[in-house]
Amino acid sequence: MSDMPYPDALRVDAFDKVRGVQRYAADNARPGLAHAVLATATIARGTVRRIDAAAARAVPGVRLVLTHEELNGLKPPGFLMGGGYGFQSIQPITSPHIAYRGQPIALVVADNLEAAAEGARLIRADYAAEPHQVTLDAPEADIVAQADSPLPKPMFADVKAGEADAAYAAAAIRIEADFRHPPQHQNPIEMLSTVAEWRDGHLTVHEGTQNAEAIRHGLARQLGIEPERITVLSPSAGGGFGQKNSLQAHTVLAAEAARRLERPVKLVVTRAQIFHDSSFRPASRHRIRLGADTAGRMVALIHETDSQTSRHDLFPTQYTELSARLYGIAGFRGRERLVRTDVQTPGYMRAPYEHPAAFAVECCVDELAYRLGRDPVALRLANDTTADPITGQPYSSRYLAECLRRGAARFGWDRRSMEPGSMRAEDGSLMGWGVAIGAYKAATAAAIARLRLSADGAVTFSVGVHEMGQGIRTAIFAVLVRRLGVEPGRITLEIGSTGTTPQHLTAGSWGTATAIPAAEEVCDALLRALETLPSRLSLAERLRAAGRPYLEVEVSRRAPGQPEAVMGRLTSGLPAAMGPAYPGYVSFSHVAHFVEVRVEPSTRRIRVPRVVSVADCGRVISPRTAASQLRGGVIWGIGAALREVSEVDVRYGGFLNADLAEYVLPVHADIGTIDVEFVDAPDPRLNAAGVKGLGEVSMVGVAPAIANAVHHATGRRLRALPIRVEDLL
Amino acid sequence: MRPFTYARAGDEAAAIRAVSSGGRGTRFLAGGTTLYDLMKLGAEAPERLVDISALPGLASFDTAGPRELVFGAGARMSDVAADSRLVAEYPALSESLWKAASQQLRNMASLGGNLLQRTRCAYFRGGEPFACNKRTPGSGCAAREGIDRGHAVLGGSEACIATYPGDWAVALVAFDAVVDVAGPNGARTIPLQALHREPGTTPEVETSLARDEMILRIRVPATPLGRASTYHKIRDRESYAFALASAAVALWMEGDVVREARIALGGLATRPWRAQEAEAGLVGRPLTLEAARAAGEAALRNARPGHHNAFRIELGTRTVAEALLIAQRRA
Repeated sequence: MSDMPYPDALRVDAFDKVRGVQRYAADNARPGLAHAVLATATIARGTVRRIDAAAARAVPGVRLVLTHEELNGLKPPGFLMGGGYGFQSIQPITSPHIAYRGQPIALVVADNLEAAAEGARLIRADYAAEPHQVTLDAPEADIVAQADSPLPKPMFADVKAGEADAAYAAAAIRIEADFRHPPQHQNPIEMLSTVAEWRDGHLTVHEGTQNAEAIRHGLARQLGIEPERITVLSPSAGGGFGQKNSLQAHTVLAAEAARRLERPVKLVVTRAQIFHDSSFRPASRHRIRLGADTAGRMVALIHETDSQTSRHDLFPTQYTELSARLYGIAGFRGRERLVRTDVQTPGYMRAPYEHPAAFAVECCVDELAYRLGRDPVALRLANDTTADPITGQPYSSRYLAECLRRGAARFGWDRRSMEPGSMRAEDGSLMGWGVAIGAYKAATAAAIARLRLSADGAVTFSVGVHEMGQGIRTAIFAVLVRRLGVEPGRITLEIGSTGTTPQHLTAGSWGTATAIPAAEEVCDALLRALETLPSRLSLAERLRAAGRPYLEVEVSRRAPGQPEAVMGRLTSGLPAAMGPAYPGYVSFSHVAHFVEVRVEPSTRRIRVPRVVSVADCGRVISPRTAASQLRGGVIWGIGAALREVSEVDVRYGGFLNADLAEYVLPVHADIGTIDVEFVDAPDPRLNAAGVKGLGEVSMVGVAPAIANAVHHATGRRLRALPIRVEDLL
Repeated sequence: MRPFTYARAGDEAAAIRAVSSGGRGTRFLAGGTTLYDLMKLGAEAPERLVDISALPGLASFDTAGPRELVFGAGARMSDVAADSRLVAEYPALSESLWKAASQQLRNMASLGGNLLQRTRCAYFRGGEPFACNKRTPGSGCAAREGIDRGHAVLGGSEACIATYPGDWAVALVAFDAVVDVAGPNGARTIPLQALHREPGTTPEVETSLARDEMILRIRVPATPLGRASTYHKIRDRESYAFALASAAVALWMEGDVVREARIALGGLATRPWRAQEAEAGLVGRPLTLEAARAAGEAALRNARPGHHNAFRIELGTRTVAEALLIAQRRA
């Protein structure tokens, strides 16, 4: 089936979304609902000596105030990267210790939101403050070399291939440069929000998430109850981007308050609080040394990184997993270090390692092209590879060169003049054209899929995957419609909520490559089960002919080479994904971005009127939402390159510009034409559907393409993001 | 949220009476786009709100008069921005409204309330743990040694360097606008230039209005400088952002020679900033690239950089120069 392209089809939830029909957790406004508001710490590190909640308790309508004095029996969730479920290991409001500014210190619950907010404002704490460090540059910072840390190996060992240092020392052309990436926050439009209610000892949690199963099992651990007594409902999340990939710190607080009050509790974490109470993209710095011969063959790449983590967790990095594999470079050495800072634990913000790594490497590759006087596209094509430089294995598919060739043609790259500052737009602006490539591991998770056909023709399908707006419902519909010949109106999808199939973490661009092959397999299982009946009848007619009210089939699917034991992780809410290295091959998605920037001559504002992006994500299942994903990734790249920075005042810790007016995301007026195309060639080696991931790779390489275009326009190499007007004045 | 009472006034006199007799915690409420925001942040904590957003007549405006343009204080920013006569005859005024906030906010915000918009200084808005003399007089200023990229380079003091964030007031200052206000002791007219105060040692006092004085209308003298005008706003994104630097300029050209010029700066100062010295330097001369640049330099001559905002002196200089050239093309 993977040899047939899928036709364009409407997004199945589009009309509900534009009409406001789609309901999110915070829309829940049932009678009797109690409202909870968090009070947060104003120091960057230390201890709560005394907390005074008397004034909060006296506010009319306040029903409950929880501080660490009440909650010290609550267990920690465990850290996602340490065998647990939480975005960080610590659970706020369970001890007087303050690890970062903005950490919750109390929860106030009231009959209405206004009383709860007033109560939270009246919480008073006396602190014993301790010295804190919040940036990579802090003097005497605690720097942990990942290779020497307790983090599991070989996953977090330094990546090496060949003799990079010797090859670099001997290289005819050497490029050395330092890059900086600021902390950034995901800011999905749906804020972290939970409605928790207990009925007959069973807890139901309404919360937009990428990982319902982790919420369920994590809450069970924290509350000391069986997971079977918890249901988590997340039929649709309003964006995740990695922020909602695990159990958040506020969820158990809402559950505990609901249990104590014996009524449902809604807790919405405010936008300013989200900057401090969930994960973010850590600050990082990158030193690149790139060596090449005079013919333009890259022979050595050394990539050394320092990345921010918290004092209480090691959030590991894998920047070099990507940088080692962009090209066929024989000599590679990575070294990744973590810098402990007094912040909440950072995490996986879209293309968490790949975007900063590609920024550093792809800017250097552009510099190399200029040192050689070689066209940047031609240089990249000449350094492409068919074998993975780290393992020596072949790629299951690699259409990077195709992405570059198609993108160059579509963009009109042959009209580019090489000389910086040599192209002008009609309005007199400096025009710059830049290119960069990106890649992202094609991971796959274990999954169970269940399909039920009723005699009336209705189809119910469940698989472990979450809809966060990326379009997975539309993709699944496409497969069910094609495979079973059912009308879309007869299909019910049960995804994102526990109590059906295990709702494994949807992240790392493995959603489609996990859910779609499973959907195909379970469809095939259903068709096989019906094979004995006359084929000229419809599926439902065959069922009726057999006198069956319904037929239900289930398949269990693992990633290639995954051990059987992974199913235990799947059913207990732990990460059960693998990739990019599978037995016998390595899998990545690829992309090439071509960017036009214009630099206004007077005030030096940078605009991005035009982008062409060509991606290889294997077979495209849902052309409509895939194009939207790719455009969305480009917009993320524009934001990351030119606008977004979470500002840090070292004196206070925390983040300063914690709202959507001051955290500068791109707006419509900042976005010009984004022209996207897909290679749409199946990767049958990875799975029968031929699909690889798309969401994250879409963003990888956009930032360096912009920086390279700025160089082409101005002759300036800018190596710290975001690039803003002051950098070009 | 702190409890407060809300009442809708029937007419102007009743509104003023209610605010005057209500005492210190009583405030006028118009569009609410600033006040509600600051109440949620705890930066404002009124006890009584007197809603003037539905007062009859306050929302009207007339841009057709031969001697002056009259804008009711209750007119919505979006309605005035779209006025075709303003767009054609006084583009700087229209642009200053179009380039402010977002369409949703402009649909709610009133012209009078917009003049009184308070600073976006993160230390002011953030509250604890930040020191802020504007929020808590005498507590200090966290911005002076902090992230001051957006803070004022003109008109600051030891006590405060918070930028006046508005756009509309900057354009009005360039056009010698006045505001008619009414209070319990009667009505008076204040030049817009005198409405906002520099922080000095009392940054918590931002305007020359008494607490119980209400802006009724804004009047702009009709002038031949209207048509060759622009509001040029440079910001971190192309919409929904405050100015890193902005310039309202208006020209009256006789051939190639400047007969009269107006220049006001936004985003750079603690109040709407008229640059009269820069204006004077242009008069009687051809407006060349060099003259425009010199005017920009004159406008920023007394600017004082902090730690992260020095670039905005150069940016402001270029913004003024560019704005002059845009206005010249409209002459």
